[in-house]
Amino acid sequence: MTSIRALATGACAAALASLCAFVAPAKAQTYPTRGITMIVPFAAGGPTDVISRIVTAHMAQTFGQSIIIENVVGAGGTTATTRAARAANDGYTLITGHMGTHAASVPLYPKLAYHPEKDFEPVALLAGTPILILARKDFPPKDLKEFVAYVKANAEKVNAAHAGIGSVSHVSCELLHSILDIKPVGVPFNGTGPAMNALVAGQVDYMCDQIVNAVPQINAGTIKAYAIATVERNPSLPNVPTTTEAGLPAFQAQAWNAMFAPKGTSPAIIASLNAAAIKALDDETVKKRLLELGSVIPGPADRTPEALATLVKNEIAKWTPVLKPAT
Amino acid sequence: MDIFANLAHGFAVALSPINLLMCLIGALVGTLVGVLPGIGTIATVAMLLPITFGLPPVGALIMLAGIYYGAQYGGSTTSILVNIPGEATSVVTAIDGHQMAKQGRAGPALAIAAIGSFFAGCVATVLIAVLGAPLTKLALAFGPAEYFSLMVLGLIFAVVLAKGSVLKAIAMIVFGLLLSMVGSDIETGASRMAFNIPELADGLGFATVAMGVFGFAEIIRNLDAGAEMNRDLVQQKITGLMPTKKDLKDSAPAILRGTALGSILGILPGGGAVIASFAAYTLEKKLAKNPSRFGRGAIEGVAAPESANNAAAQTSFIPLLTLGIPPNAVMALMVGAMTIHGIVPGPQVMQKQPDLVWGMIASMWIGNLMLIIINLPLVGIWVRLLRVPYRLMFPSIVIFCAIGIYSVNNAPVDVILAGVFGLVGYWLIKHDFEPAPLLLGMVLGPLMEENLRRALLISRGDWSVFLTRPLSAVLLAIAAFLLTLTLLPMLRAKRDEVFTESEN
Amino acid sequence: MADTMGHSATATRNTSVAIGFCLLAIAPQIFEFIWSIGTIFGWGAGRGPATVLISHATALVAGAPAALIGAASGDTKKASSDVLLALIYSYPILVVAIVTLFMTIRSAQDYVGGVILMALALFALWASSDLQGMRGFSFGAGTAPRMFGGLLVALSAGIALTGLLTDGPAMAHYAWRGPMFVMAAIVFFALAIRPLGVVVSAFVSFMIAATGSHETRWLEAAIVGACLTLGCAILFPYVLGLPMPMFPRFLVQ
Repeated sequence: MTSIRALATGACAAALASLCAFVAPAKAQTYPTRGITMIVPFAAGGPTDVISRIVTAHMAQTFGQSIIIENVVGAGGTTATTRAARAANDGYTLITGHMGTHAASVPLYPKLAYHPEKDFEPVALLAGTPILILARKDFPPKDLKEFVAYVKANAEKVNAAHAGIGSVSHVSCELLHSILDIKPVGVPFNGTGPAMNALVAGQVDYMCDQIVNAVPQINAGTIKAYAIATVERNPSLPNVPTTTEAGLPAFQAQAWNAMFAPKGTSPAIIASLNAAAIKALDDETVKKRLLELGSVIPGPADRTPEALATLVKNEIAKWTPVLKPAT
Repeated sequence: MDIFANLAHGFAVALSPINLLMCLIGALVGTLVGVLPGIGTIATVAMLLPITFGLPPVGALIMLAGIYYGAQYGGSTTSILVNIPGEATSVVTAIDGHQMAKQGRAGPALAIAAIGSFFAGCVATVLIAVLGAPLTKLALAFGPAEYFSLMVLGLIFAVVLAKGSVLKAIAMIVFGLLLSMVGSDIETGASRMAFNIPELADGLGFATVAMGVFGFAEIIRNLDAGAEMNRDLVQQKITGLMPTKKDLKDSAPAILRGTALGSILGILPGGGAVIASFAAYTLEKKLAKNPSRFGRGAIEGVAAPESANNAAAQTSFIPLLTLGIPPNAVMALMVGAMTIHGIVPGPQVMQKQPDLVWGMIASMWIGNLMLIIINLPLVGIWVRLLRVPYRLMFPSIVIFCAIGIYSVNNAPVDVILAGVFGLVGYWLIKHDFEPAPLLLGMVLGPLMEENLRRALLISRGDWSVFLTRPLSAVLLAIAAFLLTLTLLPMLRAKRDEVFTESEN
Repeated sequence: MADTMGHSATATRNTSVAIGFCLLAIAPQIFEFIWSIGTIFGWGAGRGPATVLISHATALVAGAPAALIGAASGDTKKASSDVLLALIYSYPILVVAIVTLFMTIRSAQDYVGGVILMALALFALWASSDLQGMRGFSFGAGTAPRMFGGLLVALSAGIALTGLLTDGPAMAHYAWRGPMFVMAAIVFFALAIRPLGVVVSAFVSFMIAATGSHETRWLEAAIVGACLTLGCAILFPYVLGLPMPMFPRFLVQ
């Protein structure tokens, strides 16, 4: 009985404390007056999650309010995005969308319950993670030119791994395949971990994946990288050539992550969110952490909501022809 | 030897006050999470990830690891006390553990689970330190074909562990396999049997179905008229808290065998730990002089799977520490935690981050020691919980389960689905179907189908891969052997049933 | 109990079992009809009740026989989903219902259990009938569900047969009070957690669930429920840091 009483006393104290917490910030009338929920459409610990956490941690300091990350996984991130699209447009529910949820999903899921352009207000582009062409360490081709020739000649024999339909590794490999005009067998895995395991073990031949997962494996020599699909080389892999340098300039892909708010969120709120996000991106520790992940931080011109709107538009246009025939 | 130098270094790291504190917090939170039905380790580790921002990376990982294996200790508690397995690995523990509780032997069941887990944890920790690197090869040797054969073997285990009709057990496995197919198809992305319900797009969650067919169904059944008498009996019957000498003697070989099986199977990414607990149970049942005791409160049926799942929980760190590849969702979160700190684990993590790796290994042993010190005294409290009148117990369990299921995905639909599965489970009980094979079918189903399809994609449709790859062939041979061993006595099953019936 | 039952008693029970199976045979149709009533009030998406009623009725009465005849005469026109439901699910169960009338059920527990399981398997077969099958060496989405669905039909038929051929336990007694209130508590919690928060939904669900037992003493339950709610309100959002609303949304804003 004593334990119950102790529990009850503690509970009352906590309830009072939380009430006070609710009352205190109500004095300030400017946005935000309470905690913000940031929906992350992928599991905690993944690239999108880590980027969101790094940036929102700094934004929370700017606002003096907590930003709670809510990981809602499922259906290539579209479950979470659907929920965010239907959330109240008061600026207290936001989402970190990415290339998959806000571009590739349009052709991939014909019954998509939202449209990236019509149901969201773009806030700010946060960071992109470059995509690499990776292969098992004993795969015959030595560089990207040989790789292109090899897979074209052996399109019937090679196996491309990917982390599941709709994943970054799947859609970016589809882009590569459409550029090379081949249709090799795609071996699906449940996430990047198992796919990487199969590549390290040599059970599959190649895959396209985000830089974060691949750097330590490349450095240890358990897999090899042919090229990085960005304009510039990445500081964490200085020896890996860009696709342009290696002779396949058409293959440009980046898993960009950006912040969105539900449609109809007031422009003032969008502006203050955008300002806070930019402030975070300019912070030295945030920058350092993002660069350690191999991420690319957008330049000043790419950070406005308008630039993000253009990016979404262009990306949908880019992925639609690639992914339409695939499904 | 290198190992000793490394271990000494590890202990030096792990014994620093801050890391000891982290280890203790991890062990406590893990126990709590394991005990609360429905709250999964994945959800908790995910929620605690931001806290680790402010901690030194070694301390953060020691804490997260503590939560992970601490939950394995705690997970057996609800399985034994209220027949609700919180994790796939404690489904088997519920079979005999809850029977023991019904016979008033909840204390010995909980204690032997803790002792078995402690022993297994110690052995597995040593194994990681000594054989971690060579054992990595095993994880890499397992391709899709091998996994498929392993899953087939796992499903045979499910048949063996059934206590009633073999036909019904097989039907339940197949039912579980069908349930596991709800959701997106891995190869084509097509939505299967999801009826356009967005929450079903990724399939039915294990926690949802397990809470339903075990937790809610058990509650509904206990509310039936006439069930009060049995419950009162349970409450009066509670005998000693600690296992007797005979219990310890019976369990010792089971703990040894469970540890061995768990240590090996734990290394395999994906499903290894689940199969380990089922395999350990099956092995004990097959070796027992009187297999009919299993499912009716045999202490080996608790000791073996609990040792196996804890051993597997420890050795599943091997692929993470040696390859940098996370073998399950919790480990993926730990990779996330490392990434946040700027450490991206890879094959070189052992050389580059000796503090982290050896500190973690040493902390596992310390954590296991803390856990047994925490858990043995708790046995008394848990058993006392059984004395709470059921009229107050059951609504509380309903609320805990509901919050737990909701917290997995923050999806209200999951809670309703669990309720529906509660009704399904009630129906299963009324027709004498067993829920354990159903859950096993559900857990192993996707792994089996995916790997079958992967293997056939890679082999371009050639089914012979399953026999030409030696590891796969061996696994299939064991499966075939076990199946004949199970089906042969079916003819004699009638006589056994009569025998056990009259015994009750 | 079974031995005191005469032949006529068995016969009446058989009739009620058969009627139960008939209801089971059209259960999905009835469910969709009930569900569709919601669309009148704008809840959920889907077809309206009138459409549902007419399309299922025509499928059951006319569409399916026509499709059967069509299939027999080599017409490979694709049948609609409603017709397929009638063909794959409803007809086999109806046949079982009719057969039941002429059988002596020796173990109702096995027989009824087997038939309901068969219904689930047939339903799964229907649900996966629109999926793509084998294409070359690629398995396709539909192969495995159909394979296991078929296997489960066979196994459940075997269980039902056991119920006809060997003696066994009769039907167990189903209670209604426990399941109803526990289910109500669960559904209330699911609907209330987002708008009303942990405090309200946990307490109300506790009380609803407590109604499920006739042993409940109200004052005691209310006190324990309140303590538990407070405990949960501290434990889950604070100690474990799970993101869930604490108080009703309208109070916070």
